[in-house]
Amino acid sequence: MIRSTYLVTMRDYLGYVSAWGFWLGLLFTPLILGIFILAPTLAQNAQPTRYFAVIEAGDTFTNALSEQMTESVSVTARAMLDPIAIAQNQDSEKLAAYDEARANGATVEEAFAQAGGFPDMLPRQDFVQVDAPVSNSADLAPYITGATLVDTIEGPQPLFAAFVVNEESGEIEYWSENLQAQALMSFARQAERELQLDRALATVNVDRSILNDARAARRDVTQQRVRTGEDADTETEVTQADQAPFVVSIMMAFSLWFLIFSVINYLLMGTIEERSNKIFDSLLTSVKLPHLLAGKLLAVLLLSLTLVGFWSVGSGVVTWFARDMISADVAQFFGAVFTAAANPALFVPAIISFVLGYLMYGSLFLALGSLCDTIQEAQTLMTPLFVTLMAPLAMLAFAIQDAESALIEIMAWVPVFTPFLLILRMPTEPPIWEVLAQLGLMALTTFVILHLATRVYRAGAVHGAGVNDVWAFFGKLVPGKKSAA
Amino acid sequence: MGEDLPLKMTGVSKWFGNFQAVRDLDFDVPKGSIVGFLGPNGAGKSTSLRMALGVLSPDRGDVSLLGAPPNLESLKYVGFLPEERGLYKKMSPRQIITYFARLKGMSSRDAKARADELLDMMGLGEFARSRVTKLSKGMAQKVQILSALAHRPSFLILDEPFSGLDPVNQQALEDLIIEEHKRGATIVFSTHVMEHAERLCEKIVMMARGRKVFDGTLDEAFAALGRAVHIGVAEGFDLAAALEPSGFEALQEGDHWRVSLKQAQSSQDALRATLDAGAPITSFTPQEARLRDVFVSLVSEAEAQDLTDTLAADAAEGREAA
Repeated sequence: MIRSTYLVTMRDYLGYVSAWGFWLGLLFTPLILGIFILAPTLAQNAQPTRYFAVIEAGDTFTNALSEQMTESVSVTARAMLDPIAIAQNQDSEKLAAYDEARANGATVEEAFAQAGGFPDMLPRQDFVQVDAPVSNSADLAPYITGATLVDTIEGPQPLFAAFVVNEESGEIEYWSENLQAQALMSFARQAERELQLDRALATVNVDRSILNDARAARRDVTQQRVRTGEDADTETEVTQADQAPFVVSIMMAFSLWFLIFSVINYLLMGTIEERSNKIFDSLLTSVKLPHLLAGKLLAVLLLSLTLVGFWSVGSGVVTWFARDMISADVAQFFGAVFTAAANPALFVPAIISFVLGYLMYGSLFLALGSLCDTIQEAQTLMTPLFVTLMAPLAMLAFAIQDAESALIEIMAWVPVFTPFLLILRMPTEPPIWEVLAQLGLMALTTFVILHLATRVYRAGAVHGAGVNDVWAFFGKLVPGKKSAA
Repeated sequence: MGEDLPLKMTGVSKWFGNFQAVRDLDFDVPKGSIVGFLGPNGAGKSTSLRMALGVLSPDRGDVSLLGAPPNLESLKYVGFLPEERGLYKKMSPRQIITYFARLKGMSSRDAKARADELLDMMGLGEFARSRVTKLSKGMAQKVQILSALAHRPSFLILDEPFSGLDPVNQQALEDLIIEEHKRGATIVFSTHVMEHAERLCEKIVMMARGRKVFDGTLDEAFAALGRAVHIGVAEGFDLAAALEPSGFEALQEGDHWRVSLKQAQSSQDALRATLDAGAPITSFTPQEARLRDVFVSLVSEAEAQDLTDTLAADAAEGREAA
């Protein structure tokens, strides 16, 4: 078995890796992922600066609006400086340095640089105020429509929008030909809220700083947990090390899902090629059917591991070169993640789930591929499997909110979901009998699915059964005839 | 038994749903022989060969391949060319031949050397490293044939090996079969082109409608049909009546008479008897028996028998229903 399975594995594997598509996927997946991550910033930077004007008797609203827009950039700058501290509401040296610089009158860019950030990474401001070209709304039309340009630091440019503040009527009008972009209007609304708050405080002779101090003095709510056994003497406050197992379990479950989802195409195409090229008879006089299936599953698993390995090494290399840019907090977080991943209570059930889940879904796709001559035919059979595969992805969203959700607990008993959901449950330390029972049920289901998949594969490969025979075949799943192959 | 009869099928039947593809097939292949497995399309030849290899299992009966039921160990000594041709399109001929030879147990080095040797022998050396998609249909078929015999099998089963080949390549394949036979291989090939069987086979098995209708040597096949002469005579002359006293049977077939020759009778005897009977002869053509005639005759009989059986079964069903 080992020799023939090895030969099938190597032929299929080398066939996959010698295809251009594999290398394109290998190289472009991280690139596309990177683009997705950077897309918002890139899109924002690609957007041309939009100019607006404020027509106002004084400058009260103008100043409030400017302050609001600066505050927005400042929030972004703080989030970029230390995202983990912001997310976990923790103290941070970088944030403290930034706040101190701002308090001393530094601009956002200057404070960002002083706190260790690279100002070029800050998103560019979308909106820039220019002097109002007219003094009332009646004369605005040629500027708003773009017929007449306004003077800007970039030279003459169209006016994107204009605010007209009418103190008598108490209205603020927003003029723009772009009816969809709401960002500038949101800034204006927020600015107006703050402005009215200041005015209300002034009428009762309360300084704004009192309100700001009150806000700053709010007490933080810290998350605590009970420590027992060896950890009884350690701090009860929840740390990154406590949260890391949940992060790891989500990453592992998603990796399994991504692995299965990304190799479907290879499993299908490999089998469809052999069916449409009519190679089965030649193969089946040289290899036993289970050995052939094992070889094919191993080849695609090897391919997946090649992908994962390449990306992991790539990430490692990038991280190494960018090590100076990684803050101590982030490094500490990654350390906690690696420590959690190395815990046998997490990785042993994860590896078992990983293997059984791959066998379960992989054999199903192989079997379906053996019934199809074209990928179009295969697609007609794929829908139920895709729907089944989408359910665990939705469960991941629940797990991020609450890994102990009753929904996940119940769904983990459904064997086709167990490979993903048991991993998610492991950080919640479920009873050992539940873990063992779910693993056993999953193993049994995998065995049954492998058995059925082999029969379907035999029907497709040997008897030439097709898509139309699928339901008829399932109707005949009773002990039947066997062949020597 | 496996030593003398590399393949023996006994009482083998196969159904696909309600359709019986093979009916009580008995035949064997003597060691060192070339056996032609003949029959029209749909006769059950490929199904029988797939059962011989264990790709399909019979619903009834026994198959012995190299002395045992078909298994991967015995299949290591068997080379098989399936009816449905197929190759991995992204691989080169050298890679494909090497792959199948290794699956049959050859080492990597030996398999590669053998692939090079066979490709050179068949004039495909310059295409050894090209993708299969670059090859013509005939070349691709040669590659598949080479894959079947790369591991030097002692028993070759070729299902319709001549199908799709041009006359030049058909001749090349005949030569290759003869070479393999000289090497000591036992060979079974199926075909519905009788000329190949006539030139190559020592023994033939004919099938029609899932049944074996003949199993024997070429001479026995010709004997089964019988020899004859075709004699043309002037219109209105009754040759059957004229030859009856001399012991010849004549049957009118269109514009001529077919005169059957019995064991001891020659065409010369028939001509002499016709002249003696005073027949006004317009033509005289001795008929050499061809395998095609034997085939058509036996298949027609089988189809007629099949029709009779069907009608009888229907009648029996009708009686039961009544």
